[in-house]
Amino acid sequence: MRVLVVVLALAAGCTEDVDPAWQLDHDRVIAIRATPSRIVSGEVAQIDALLGRAGEAPIEADPMTAMVVEPTVLASTLTRQGTRWRVTAPGPTELAAARSELGLEADAPVPLRVRMTFPYANNVTKTGLKVIWLGEHAENPVLSPIFVEGVDRTMATMLTVAPLTDVPLEVEFDETYVVNWLTSCGTMHDFDLARSYLRVEVEDDQSGTLGVVVRDELGGVAWQMFSITAE
Amino acid sequence: MIDNLGRPIRKVTVSVEGTFDDVVTDKDGTFEIVAPMGATLIVSSDRHGVSLATVDGPELPDIVLLIDLASEEIIVSSEAPIVAPGAAVLDREQLNRIPGTGGDIVRALTAMPGVVNTQLPLGYSGVVIRGASPQDSKVLIDDFEIPILFHPFGFRAVVPTESIKSLSFIPGGFDVAYGRSSSGIVKLETRAGSENRSTQAEFSMIDSGVVAQGPIGEKTRYMFALRRSFIDFFLPLFIPDTVDLSLTTVPQYWDGQLRVDHEVNSKWSVMASSVGTTDLFELFTTQDEDSKAKRFYSRTRFLRLTAGAKYHDGPWQANLALSGMISDLDAQIGLYQRLKVVTELVTPRVTVTRSEEKAFGLKDVVWSSGAEAQIGHSTTELAIPLERREGEPFPPYDPKDTSSRFKGSVWFPDFAAWSSVAASFDKRFRVTTGVRADMFARSGEVRIQPRSELQIKITPAWTARFNGGFYSRPPEFQSENLQKDLNAERSQQLMMGLEYAPFLGLRIQGSTYYTYRTSLITHNADNTLGNNGRGESKGFELLAMGTNGTWFGFLGYSYSNSSRIDGPGAMPRLFDYDQPHSLNAALSWKKGHWQIGGRFNLYSGLPSTPVIGAEFDSDRNLHIPTPGAINSDRAPMHHQLDVRIDYTWKWGPTVLLVFLDVQNVYLNDSIVTYFYSYDYTQKSAFESLPLVPSLGVRGTL
Repeated sequence: MRVLVVVLALAAGCTEDVDPAWQLDHDRVIAIRATPSRIVSGEVAQIDALLGRAGEAPIEADPMTAMVVEPTVLASTLTRQGTRWRVTAPGPTELAAARSELGLEADAPVPLRVRMTFPYANNVTKTGLKVIWLGEHAENPVLSPIFVEGVDRTMATMLTVAPLTDVPLEVEFDETYVVNWLTSCGTMHDFDLARSYLRVEVEDDQSGTLGVVVRDELGGVAWQMFSITAE
Repeated sequence: MIDNLGRPIRKVTVSVEGTFDDVVTDKDGTFEIVAPMGATLIVSSDRHGVSLATVDGPELPDIVLLIDLASEEIIVSSEAPIVAPGAAVLDREQLNRIPGTGGDIVRALTAMPGVVNTQLPLGYSGVVIRGASPQDSKVLIDDFEIPILFHPFGFRAVVPTESIKSLSFIPGGFDVAYGRSSSGIVKLETRAGSENRSTQAEFSMIDSGVVAQGPIGEKTRYMFALRRSFIDFFLPLFIPDTVDLSLTTVPQYWDGQLRVDHEVNSKWSVMASSVGTTDLFELFTTQDEDSKAKRFYSRTRFLRLTAGAKYHDGPWQANLALSGMISDLDAQIGLYQRLKVVTELVTPRVTVTRSEEKAFGLKDVVWSSGAEAQIGHSTTELAIPLERREGEPFPPYDPKDTSSRFKGSVWFPDFAAWSSVAASFDKRFRVTTGVRADMFARSGEVRIQPRSELQIKITPAWTARFNGGFYSRPPEFQSENLQKDLNAERSQQLMMGLEYAPFLGLRIQGSTYYTYRTSLITHNADNTLGNNGRGESKGFELLAMGTNGTWFGFLGYSYSNSSRIDGPGAMPRLFDYDQPHSLNAALSWKKGHWQIGGRFNLYSGLPSTPVIGAEFDSDRNLHIPTPGAINSDRAPMHHQLDVRIDYTWKWGPTVLLVFLDVQNVYLNDSIVTYFYSYDYTQKSAFESLPLVPSLGVRGTL
């Protein structure tokens, strides 16, 4: 029941003094990506993240620090090259030891749980967790097409929309995917549905960033950001 | 002034409409008053309600008053026996004079000292007593348990006021005839139909209903009530189009009661009753109703059928009853989470009582024994997050979390037997002692629970009571009964009370209590359940009620402290519903057509656990909070004033009543609790409800 009350309160807009989850004008880790999301022995996955920042556009960034939470026997699979963090999937023997530590069945993919930190202003850091799956291969989802007002704008970097109008937004993913539409310009409606819409009121910021983040059930993630202006 | 049997009625107030003059009938039912020809006389009494008469000469013909259905069979609280220190039998008419209930007698429970007070009822049953957990107390209708006391959101009890004969509130120290509760008991008794056939209809902004009752022949009476919510017709009108919300089924409920009583002969009477409700709720947190991921659905239904027989012959008295209940809970959240529980219960119950004026050198000896079985079977299908136990931090909302899964059915047969004896040693000392044995067969646990009370009549007006005993609650809350090795939660209660009742209509009682709780059910490290917790509650309660017919006053205050330790090495913490202070003061004036009253509430806010940090889990797309010390925060004190105005008049053969009950008239918006933003970096307050009006019309034919 408490969940219901909170959801109702959020839906009814009774939370004006906290930022909604679609607000990009906010310091936060939006998503952490491993590319590819699942790797077999010998493959390498690169880790990066999308960071939201108050008063600024979001950026893609590497973790400042990273460490393996579990399984500890695979701690050495996480390495740093320059500013980039990468995971190299180990051989079958190491994976078998990891399965033993985690109590997994033979041949089950091994979740490598990595904790990482990201720097923010005033010496503040934010932490995030990401699982990189070892023992099978999977790519991140492909975010295309992205429809804005019914037009595929996947390749665009800047968008212009009309204020005081419901601007339809759509990506073609079913409900097994988690879709988040984010903005720092206007109000996002149905931000966590594949079909959403944006409305920019007169009192809203008339420019900012519009973004969409998609997660699949295999740990894959993809995002795209646009500069947006209402006029 | 006479009743329907031609007997004079004394103490009926008669006034001339439009004036402030009134007189009262004498023992012969007569009165004298100065009034112009053609004037309207307003005739009112507590028992007979309000009637009108026209002055058509110097001497009026007999005015016949019928018993007011709204006040018939009322138990006058100042005369009702108290069963334990701090307990009270709630008088329906007096509680109707307590504002802030929206016309629902059961919601007046929040005014009782010892009941955790909030604007809307709390917990799954709606009643939290002496700072314990909601599941530690039981709600009974006609001596049998019901799963919920309030419809969702707490605006209405599942039984309408007009179907209730009496309501007993026992915050602790109840006798051996009752069990399966480690805290307190709320007992509702449905009313038998009246001797006169009548139909009553009520309409309000929240619901509408009808009550029909009367005789069938000379020895049978019936009462039938049916009610449906109205709020689902109004609520969508208040939701702006811009909100991402689609209420396909706004909170909607039906409830109904049927009771038939038959007097077989001078020794035997039988009754059959049914109580049932259906609550339905469905919404989408989007305007797109095809989006199953944004769907919240809940349906709760239960039906309880009871058949009983009473025998009374000289010193012997027996109650035999057989009750069955089926309940059905179906809840779905989004695409993945689901909870469906269908429970069937059969409960036979028998009590035998023998009373002797004198026995073994003692006076007024009452021996009572009884037994009951509760055979339960539950079919459960669940795919939900790990259930939160009392005190545990609220987890982040993860619509894909189905870490608790179960599909199957369980039997949980429970048996109980008890015996007690009460006797007076002289005019001042009376002792009641007894023992109850509960067997919870699923775990094989047997609990022997002795209980005793000493009552000392210090003077005719002053009575002292000392009470102590052992109590237990079987593991049946949430998914407790899915785990076979769980034992009952236990409590040991000690109470002391002092009552002052100098005359009929005034009673003041104070009591103090200490409850020690053991075997409290908590999560183990592996997320299974164990009996690892212990805790204690202590406090003081004061209740004063007085009436002289025109005026009614009520004062309730409680101080309480409830804390617990969840396992070896754990730090002590407050219970979730610890409420140190609760004050309720009500005053009501009733005369002629009018009744006007006000009630002031002042009570502590409830504890909460602060969040001191959070970590982002990218794959689950949520932030995992880091909790601070459990229940170390507390919402501020809340105060509000509630007002109720009733106007009664007669329209043809129909007595009409209009009431306006307004909660929080000065719009105090104090904080109820806090919640956090999705990433726990911002904190916001849930404020108390603003002005809550309730307007209703009741007609009795």
